Amino acid sequence: MSTLVIKNLHAEVDGKEILRGIDLTINEGETVAVLGPNGHGKSTLLNVIMGHPKYIVTEGTITLDGQDILSLTTDQRAKLGLFLGMQNPSEIPGVINSDFLRAAVNAKSEKPISTYQFYKVLDKATKELKMPFDLATRSLNEGFSGGEKKRNEILQLMLLEPKIAMLDEIDSGLDVDAIQVVADVIKEEQAKGIGFLVISHYARLFDLIQPTRAVVIVNGKVVIDGDPSYIKRIDQTGYEFIKTELGIEISKPDNNMNTVSIGSCAVKDAIK
Amino acid sequence: MERLALTKLNNKEYMIPERASGSFVFDLATANDEVLIRINNSSNVDLLLLNLKDGNNIQFEVADNVYLNVATLGKNDIKTFKITANVGYKSTFSAYFADFIHGKVKSDITINLNKEGGTCNWHLASLSMNKDNKEFDVSAYHNAINTYAQLDNYGVCRDEGKLTFSGICKIINGSHGSKAHQNAKIMVFDELSNGVAKPILKIDENDIEASHAAIVGKINDEHIFYLTSRGLSEEEAKRIITLGYLKPILKGFSDDNMVQEIENLIEGEM
Ligand SMILES: Nc1ncnc2c1ncn2[C@@H]1O[C@H](COP(=O)(O)OP(=O)(O)OP(=O)(O)O)[C@@H](O)[C@H]1O
Ligand SMILES: [Mg+2]
Repeated sequence: MSTLVIKNLHAEVDGKEILRGIDLTINEGETVAVLGPNGHGKSTLLNVIMGHPKYIVTEGTITLDGQDILSLTTDQRAKLGLFLGMQNPSEIPGVINSDFLRAAVNAKSEKPISTYQFYKVLDKATKELKMPFDLATRSLNEGFSGGEKKRNEILQLMLLEPKIAMLDEIDSGLDVDAIQVVADVIKEEQAKGIGFLVISHYARLFDLIQPTRAVVIVNGKVVIDGDPSYIKRIDQTGYEFIKTELGIEISKPDNNMNTVSIGSCAVKDAIK
Repeated sequence: MERLALTKLNNKEYMIPERASGSFVFDLATANDEVLIRINNSSNVDLLLLNLKDGNNIQFEVADNVYLNVATLGKNDIKTFKITANVGYKSTFSAYFADFIHGKVKSDITINLNKEGGTCNWHLASLSMNKDNKEFDVSAYHNAINTYAQLDNYGVCRDEGKLTFSGICKIINGSHGSKAHQNAKIMVFDELSNGVAKPILKIDENDIEASHAAIVGKINDEHIFYLTSRGLSEEEAKRIITLGYLKPILKGFSDDNMVQEIENLIEGEM
């Protein structure tokens, strides 16, 4: 049983503080829905957990089963069983998808998988995802449609079998049938006991995968960590209640930056 | 696979007959520096050029309705060489050049699309390292209507290597319906290495389609993050991203030994 524990996490990007004290625990076997207005730090949180070099942690801790992971490299975190399905997966020209997938599978296992075994697993997974097999033989994500990229993320989830899987808007760009296909895979992985942290703006995916908890991130903080009924509420009424009931002002992420730039213009004018 | 030899006409000229179809090989080590290769009408040819050498001046006369795929590997020390192709009516000149030459290299590659419907697909994969200084000047001239050129130059430079992709695509007045696409990409590994990409378009006609792209830079951090987030080490991630610049050149090589040799060169150097 794995547990990811985040305590008082502060992180910044380009000198701007985005996460302002996140507290969150995810247990293996749990599915946590993550919601929140645009630009309030959801993707940043997942990137920080995975160790993206652009984001600087200034305070707080993240542990997986008691082990500090902030001191680990991204690949070490992956090997410990963390997985991030990205909001915008990179397109990497010239790198053949199946070569990459195989290298990733091999990175996790003690001895390399045989060609036969690998293609068997790959064939099964692509069929389940209703992915054309030729996507495996093309350059990694290059020229993939939005939905194909997202399926390719799920394909990697299936092949890598993490302990905790984080999915960042995996449903954006997926057609209705594809959401069903992806949800079916998530349900299978849930049954194996994998923990999920799933960001989405839409109730449809959550209806299908039945989260055990809902978390709302506003202003770089967890403002709600409660039962999944919040998903429906937000879907129907938006985030207004956060202000009216919790008294939390939802900041527009760009406000700070504007005042700074107006300030410096004013200074320039004054000098002239 | 058995490959056919070119027919020798004299000390300089060689040819492939009309309507020939198949795989050919030509060993430049056995010929003069200056050679002229005639590919006659309606032939469909896969030509492997072996042992490119310093001072080579190779000219292709591609007649009409020809499909020619030329593949060659440059290695060891070559200081200058020149390749020219004159492409005929509705003919295609497709070339794959895997460059692992060492030292200071200056090359001049010119494709003249002289007749209607001529096509050129040029592919270069180049590795510049250990103070190599290489310049590839690849140019295509659209001298007739409905001609098409796609020039793809990919390179990696590291360990004080210098690499320059230059050359122009020129569409002359009257060559309407023509398309010219130049694509130059260089990955620069370290501060002491230097990549320069300067594709130039010269267009003298309105009814055409043209594009050029030049990207010179370090490996994208997002790409490294993506690969490492799947468990690949940073070194492994850099390696496979780099291989992605060079390996696609293998598509043009149908000879298994040659594919193996280039793979060994790529894997060995990276
Ligand atoms: N790499 C980056 N460089 C600069 N700014 C960044 C970077 N990543 C995030 N930010 C900024 O941090 C803030 C939070 O972004 P983040 O992507 O975490 O939001 P989000 O909650 O995932 O939003 P969305 O629902 O729109 O995906 C935004 O203001 C964003 O512009
Ligand atoms: Mg986001």
